[in-house]
Amino acid sequence: MTLHVPTKIVVVGNGMVGSRLVDELVRRSADAFDITVLGAEPYEPYNRVLLSDVVAGRTDVAAISMPAVSGEHVRTLRGVSAVSVDRVRRTVTDDAGAVHPYDHLVLATGSQARVFPMPGLVDDDGVVELPGGVHALRTLDDAREIVAATMNSSRAVVVGGGVLGVESAYGLAARGLDVTLVDPAAAPMNRQLDADAGSVLAAGLTEHGVTVRSGTRPTEVLVAGGRAVGVRIDTGDGGDGEVLAAGLVVLTTGTVPETGLAAAAGLPTDRGIVVGHDLASPADRRVFAVGDCAQPPQGSRGLVAEGWDHARRLADHLASLVVALQDASQRSQERPREHLRFPNEDERPSMAVRLGTLLATRAATDDGVDTRGTDVVKVKAGPLSVVSMGAAGTGRAPRPGERAVRLADTVGGRYIEAVVADGVLIGATCVGDAQVAADLTAAYTRRSPVPVDPAFLLLTPVMPSAEPATSPEHMPDDATVCRCNGVSKHDITCAWDDGARTKDDIAAATRATTGCGSCTEAVCGLADWLSATRDGGPGAEPEAADLASV
Amino acid sequence: MSSATAAPAAPAATHCPYCALQCGMELTPVEGSASSAAAVAAPAPGGRAPLPVAVSPRDFPTNAGGLCQKGWTSASVLGVPDRITTPLVRGADGELAEATWDEALTLVTDRVRAIQDRHGPEGVAIFGGGGLTNEKAYALGKFARTVLRTPNIDYNGRFCMSSAAAAGNRAFGVDRGMPFPLTDLGGADVVLLLGSNPAETMPPFVQHLAGARDAGGLVVVDPRRSATARLADDGQGIHVQPVPGTDMVVLLALLHVVVAERLVDADYLAERTAGYDDVVRSVSAWWPERAETVCGVPAETLRVVARRLAAASPAHGGRGAYVLTGRGVEQSAQGTATVTAAINLALSLGLVGREGSGYGCLTGQGNGQGGREHGQKSDQLPGYRKIDDPAARSYVASVWGVDPETLPGPGKPAVALLSSLATPGGPQALFVHGSNVLVSAPNADRVRERLEALDLLVVCDFVPSETARLADVVLPVTQWAEEEGTMTSLEGRVIRRRQAVEAPGQARSELWLLAELARRLGSDVHFGTDPAEVFDELARASAGGPADYSGLSHARLDADEAVGGPGLYWPCPATTAEHPGTPRMFLDAFGTPDGRARMVPVDHGGPTDDVRGDAPTYLVTGRVLQHYQSGAQTRRVAELDRLVPEPYVELHPQLGLRVGVADGDRVRLESARGVVEAVARWTDAVRPDTVFMPFHWGGLGGVNRITSDAVDPISSMPEFKVCAVDVIPVTAADTTAHDTQEVPV
Repeated sequence: MTLHVPTKIVVVGNGMVGSRLVDELVRRSADAFDITVLGAEPYEPYNRVLLSDVVAGRTDVAAISMPAVSGEHVRTLRGVSAVSVDRVRRTVTDDAGAVHPYDHLVLATGSQARVFPMPGLVDDDGVVELPGGVHALRTLDDAREIVAATMNSSRAVVVGGGVLGVESAYGLAARGLDVTLVDPAAAPMNRQLDADAGSVLAAGLTEHGVTVRSGTRPTEVLVAGGRAVGVRIDTGDGGDGEVLAAGLVVLTTGTVPETGLAAAAGLPTDRGIVVGHDLASPADRRVFAVGDCAQPPQGSRGLVAEGWDHARRLADHLASLVVALQDASQRSQERPREHLRFPNEDERPSMAVRLGTLLATRAATDDGVDTRGTDVVKVKAGPLSVVSMGAAGTGRAPRPGERAVRLADTVGGRYIEAVVADGVLIGATCVGDAQVAADLTAAYTRRSPVPVDPAFLLLTPVMPSAEPATSPEHMPDDATVCRCNGVSKHDITCAWDDGARTKDDIAAATRATTGCGSCTEAVCGLADWLSATRDGGPGAEPEAADLASV
Repeated sequence: MSSATAAPAAPAATHCPYCALQCGMELTPVEGSASSAAAVAAPAPGGRAPLPVAVSPRDFPTNAGGLCQKGWTSASVLGVPDRITTPLVRGADGELAEATWDEALTLVTDRVRAIQDRHGPEGVAIFGGGGLTNEKAYALGKFARTVLRTPNIDYNGRFCMSSAAAAGNRAFGVDRGMPFPLTDLGGADVVLLLGSNPAETMPPFVQHLAGARDAGGLVVVDPRRSATARLADDGQGIHVQPVPGTDMVVLLALLHVVVAERLVDADYLAERTAGYDDVVRSVSAWWPERAETVCGVPAETLRVVARRLAAASPAHGGRGAYVLTGRGVEQSAQGTATVTAAINLALSLGLVGREGSGYGCLTGQGNGQGGREHGQKSDQLPGYRKIDDPAARSYVASVWGVDPETLPGPGKPAVALLSSLATPGGPQALFVHGSNVLVSAPNADRVRERLEALDLLVVCDFVPSETARLADVVLPVTQWAEEEGTMTSLEGRVIRRRQAVEAPGQARSELWLLAELARRLGSDVHFGTDPAEVFDELARASAGGPADYSGLSHARLDADEAVGGPGLYWPCPATTAEHPGTPRMFLDAFGTPDGRARMVPVDHGGPTDDVRGDAPTYLVTGRVLQHYQSGAQTRRVAELDRLVPEPYVELHPQLGLRVGVADGDRVRLESARGVVEAVARWTDAVRPDTVFMPFHWGGLGGVNRITSDAVDPISSMPEFKVCAVDVIPVTAADTTAHDTQEVPV
């Protein structure tokens, strides 16, 4: 049939995004690609996002394994790092010396934890070397070591008040440790949250046992016998600072995209590996970067949803190239050299692929690929509900036409902000109200039209229900008493007037209580009330029967 | 027992004509007038003829003496003024006119022969129904395969049960909606109900939720705060309100939490299941916070629900937990996968095949269970056998006395069948039995177009349904209280339907009709007309199949009932010592070759017709208490019609304000397939991003004219329950335009 040879893909990185890309490719075609995956860690791919849950003791390590893609055309090498790329020969060499040829190279090298060199964390030559008890939280090994360290330390300092810092601090406190969160900013999560929102979050953390030291900067990790014993912080008062005793120090001071391999191969790098909207390097269209290591034009927030979106888009792209190649080989009778031509980004994929891509990616805007919905930051901190999405909080540069509404209920532990433009929600912050947070997220990711008054977005859209009638007297006549048989209070009153006196009489006359029976109590209450008021029975004022459920 | 001729005078112990709960009721023939106080509390309004029977509830396990309004008023359908009592044939003037049976059947036979000559056997198709008795469903499948020899037979159960059936078969090796008696639910601490609204659809069912509600453990997953969701109010449980089309995400996240918090029943998984490892990996991507961004349910709510469910499981010392699914999650292009996710959750907690816990699907139609077991399905032979299995073909052919080679192979499932009608290569004639496809099928305008293009449409019904009115030939058939037979309830219990009154006019049983057609078409295959005899043949044909009825007979069912026996559930094979039937399945092993339940990883894809700029609102559909299915029966009952006389659109006040539709206004919904119109009702029971419409009507407010006919890749179940619409106010000008436009009835 087709003459094509499987397209050779080498994926460097077997993390959440690299493995997802392989999965996406295999889903599109089980045999169009010959895939080699090089993973530096010895483990099967795992869900890195859940490491803070592992630290918190909320998630079993066994639960974070991701699907390991297997197949005739997938070869995964674990514990093997790529050491160099030869873009002329189109090969990757690994640390065991093996050479892997590629048609397309995908860099999914992720990022590393950023460690600020400060006394205690660097050796004499200024090279970072973490003493015992000090851990970044980036890998499964890090998480395991932190968990092990919680056995020996009752006091922990978390350095860095971003999302991961907040999650780690909450998680360690939930394990019963005495935790201090050290953060130079005025309030936690200042990349996302403005001052009011941050203060609500800080109060929530405090309530959950975390000591929040905003506006303080770590200056030194105190080490004794090769192990951390405390952290010195600069409290900004010009003094020597203050020492926080701690046997466990967790560094959550951001990440640095892993660009070394790309840079050594002569590819442009900046903060990350520079790629276009199509995730290809501008210097070599056979090389792509996805996930944390990539720096696409619209920027990157280091969220896995973005990386998975990269994986999906790149799989679509690579699949379309294969389809184009196959189409070309089928046309080779007329255009014999077609199949030799390497398809470039101008090559139009088949209609099927284009339609599929369109459906999957939804609308792409003029200024590039629309990534809305992949930038929802949702903090994993149990009952502490914190979510930020799109243009909101400190991540927003107000533009004309935007409208922001806020509910700053700092004392009530609640802060909500909704930013609206062109009739849709373009960003939101929500701290302290889980249901509103969920509703805002659904509206944001689906571009639901916003209400006439965007302030409606700040509350749960449920009408306050009328106070349930506490006495049959106050029930409206048309109130349904028996749902199964559509019997109203009026119907029962009429039955009474026609002589029905007992529950069974009323049932025979109206069928009330004869369905699921849930209304039996209510019907008896009505009968008592009618007896008291119509027949002048004992106690002219009816008892306040238990009709709360009517 | 099966005499259909002598006019019975004694009360008949039978069951309600409507849903799969099959509430026990007694029918007492009424002399002269409706006098029984218990039965006809509200006299038939409008000076109608007195009802022929009086209805009273009977103590039966599913209803425990209760009846809903539909059941109480069911006798009214026996006396509707427009009851079809003679065959009708469309004349040269285009109108249906009365005809004799001979005239009608001669016409049908001639046309069928002509079409078969031109288009081959597959040129004639049959569309059956989940309300037909087991005997009729069986005879219909046999008629298609042996007389018409057409592969093209399917039924409206494809719209109800097929996704749960496909998932159940895949996981357990056999599909019985509830593999346990309904009354078992009463002892559980937690009942997780997904996509089902029994408080409206089968009200007496609610009794069985009392135990869970008392324990605060009724969890209802529904985008609407339905009557059932309200049962969870006041601490009786939790209402989980996801974005339409994302129920699967809820399930994946629940399993994620169960795994992450080490709540699984590891011993059970090791002993009784296969495939757990792949499933665990597949849910690692659905941590609750991510799930929240897709399904709109707060992560912490998902955690709480997962923990409650686990705490109720036997492995954690609970009194039991059930996971139950309904059409809301099954009528989806990922319906089979969603049910699979529910099953994976139940298996991980060790619920299935244990007394007091389990997974079940709530079958909808009266005989939705039995109707899917005896050969109405396009790929099936009696006993729930596969039509492409050579051994099954050869065995069933031997019961039927035909050569296995003459049996057709699998035919097209419902949506594909309907859309192939009157196309080149597709069927040119269709028989419809017990179904009103013009109202109940998705993308119904297209269905109308296909039906109108047919050479021959034969509809067998007892009322002039929307579909019957399009027919070339309408054949009057018996209904519920006029016939004998069996039904299989939602719990797999085989029960007797008994005759209380004579059928009016010339209405005849479909058993007679099929036998007569077989004879007229020159077949020498035997078709019995006595329901007891047909049942005996069905039982023989089912022997050795997954749904084995071979140990049952009308006589045995009657005898068991007479002595107040426990009831008989399939499988009930013929054995030397009388087999007791199987109230609880899977206690020892599943129906798979190695006896282990199969766990299959699934993932969320989302609705096929998802919201977008020009259709930014979700449409979900459902039912109201007063009406059943397409409403052909219940819309003819004055008491029910008075309460809910017309379709309506539920929408949130915020949506109403935004689009300019006030409470009580007329509103139009526009999907990629068409437009419907109805009155708007403001309520906060729906999400602001969603509108709800009940589907019991045809015409301008017939919501299935705009629902999606995208189908599940495995079950071919259409995606009724979620699509994208634009919500538009109806202006005076529009109304005028519509008045002059021909509106389908």
